[in-house]
Amino acid sequence: MSVLVSDLTFSYGRRRVLDDVSFEARGGELLCVLGPNGVGKSTLFGCVLGLLAPLGGEVLIDGAPVGKIPTRELARKLAFVPQSHAPTFNYSVFDMVLMGTTARVGGISSPGAEQMRAAADSIERVGISHLTGRGYMRISGGERQLTLIARALAQQADVIIMDEPTANLDYGNQLRVLKCVKDLVRKGLTVIQSTHSPDHAFIFADRVLALHGGRVTAFGEPAAVISEELISALYGVRVLIRPGENGVPRCEPII
Amino acid sequence: MTRARAEQEERGSGGSRRFTAVVICLFALVVFGILASLAIGRYPISPEQILLALRERFIDAVRTAAGGVFGAQFPQVERSGLLTDQMRAIFFNARLPRVLMACMVGCCLSAAGASYQGVFRNPMASPDILGASSGAAVGAALAILLELDARMVMLFAFTASLLTIALVMLVSGTARGNKLLRIVLAGIMISSLCNAGTSFIKLVADPNDILPEITYWLMGSLAKTRPENLAFVAAPMAVGLAPLILLRWRINILTLSDEEARTMGVNVGLVRVAVIVCATLVTAASVSVSGLIGWVGLVVPHLARKLVGNNYRHLMPASMLVGALFLLVVDNISRNLLLTEIPLGILTAVVGAPFFIWLITRKKESI
Repeated sequence: MSVLVSDLTFSYGRRRVLDDVSFEARGGELLCVLGPNGVGKSTLFGCVLGLLAPLGGEVLIDGAPVGKIPTRELARKLAFVPQSHAPTFNYSVFDMVLMGTTARVGGISSPGAEQMRAAADSIERVGISHLTGRGYMRISGGERQLTLIARALAQQADVIIMDEPTANLDYGNQLRVLKCVKDLVRKGLTVIQSTHSPDHAFIFADRVLALHGGRVTAFGEPAAVISEELISALYGVRVLIRPGENGVPRCEPII
Repeated sequence: MTRARAEQEERGSGGSRRFTAVVICLFALVVFGILASLAIGRYPISPEQILLALRERFIDAVRTAAGGVFGAQFPQVERSGLLTDQMRAIFFNARLPRVLMACMVGCCLSAAGASYQGVFRNPMASPDILGASSGAAVGAALAILLELDARMVMLFAFTASLLTIALVMLVSGTARGNKLLRIVLAGIMISSLCNAGTSFIKLVADPNDILPEITYWLMGSLAKTRPENLAFVAAPMAVGLAPLILLRWRINILTLSDEEARTMGVNVGLVRVAVIVCATLVTAASVSVSGLIGWVGLVVPHLARKLVGNNYRHLMPASMLVGALFLLVVDNISRNLLLTEIPLGILTAVVGAPFFIWLITRKKESI
């Protein structure tokens, strides 16, 4: 399973959001897309997921252009985890996860025993079995995010795309969600996720794609790519990058 | 471990066992309600007579069918002395069709309401949201103004309702902006146009006979239900309800955002239009025979949500059964409480509004 993006260009009206973006996500890696607010991370994901039609360039999923893959077939290859949200109706965590199996059942049927098992498996894999019967609206933001990840797992796609899975989460929940994602990647899943935080990229990412002004400014392993200059260019703030005690570098802001 | 998993699945899927129990209870209540309603009325018919009459009809039908197949004439079943011709006429031409129609209309309006709530991601949506009722009203008022017969009033209402929604979809298709919002806005605009049309027709109608008839139609009633009405609406109701039942799992996914639904493999545009068209079809069929009956499509799905949860897989059948039962009971009140018929629209509001207030002020259960 591979996701290949080549020379992707996208614009809203006259405003160019993505400009010649190219990269490849390899199977079994965690790719972090790093960049400031409004740089086009969500737009990039929209293009990869086939939700937005690019102006130029293409997205190839296993060699096939994403726009040519039927919706249901695409859902079996790519799953999407949005930022945690409040839906209109309060579904149980189990039902929410079960919805992920929809692409696996025929045009008009409801999920059956096999899908129920897949949903229960996914819930176990992210470690929220105790929440199974709870209402999605009555659990915490971190728990919701884990539920959405379980839903993506129930979809049984090889690649999961996560739009800032740690946005709006407290410190503990951020780390719990990221650790869960990292564990899934170790077991063979491919994850492309966006983040604001270079520290998260240092700790969890296999490779980093840095976006600035709609262009790719850096692409490679975190330790090789994330530099003091890059952070200053992306976010307009100065940091010192220090080697951490466990071998993982970390950013220290200069205030 | 396996037991824990089974328990987890059972608990998680919103309680399939509980759902089965609820549906069996509701179904039994509907059947009992139908039999009881057939006995209740100004002209008393005992349960024994009801069963006799139904048996007669059934055997007649079988004989006619068998006669058609074998090309032979079978003698008619012996008529029971317990039944009079007048009783048969009342039973088969008025009471039975009316009772069945109450169930069908209640079922359809509730299914449509639940569907609209899901598709528009709005718990306050009801079957009138796009103007299906306003359209039917202007059609019916026009037919009554032209002094056409009851069949034409029904046909006009049905056609006008469908045309209104077609217009709404056409307008919203060309408008810009958020898809859901523009469908709802187009619906509000066009139903307000329809209301203006109805008001104008009432203005020019003869206040001695035409105007009261229009007013009465607008308040909703099943009093004039005849077997031919049943035959007319049965087909559109069946054609509309079947896809709603088949697509009910997918309505869950439409309640999420469009992007999420698409990445989960659901063709959002197609499923949404299919659900709207089917919900409109059953609403149009219902209001064409019943006139305007508010509240059912809003209150019943919420009651069903309390009973079986928000999962449409369970919610849709539960809404349909609760709706059938609800309108059956309300129609019994309508024809038996006072010496004159009380219009259904008034009763559903009197029952529905306080009930809805109770629903929303009740302490929330925490799951």
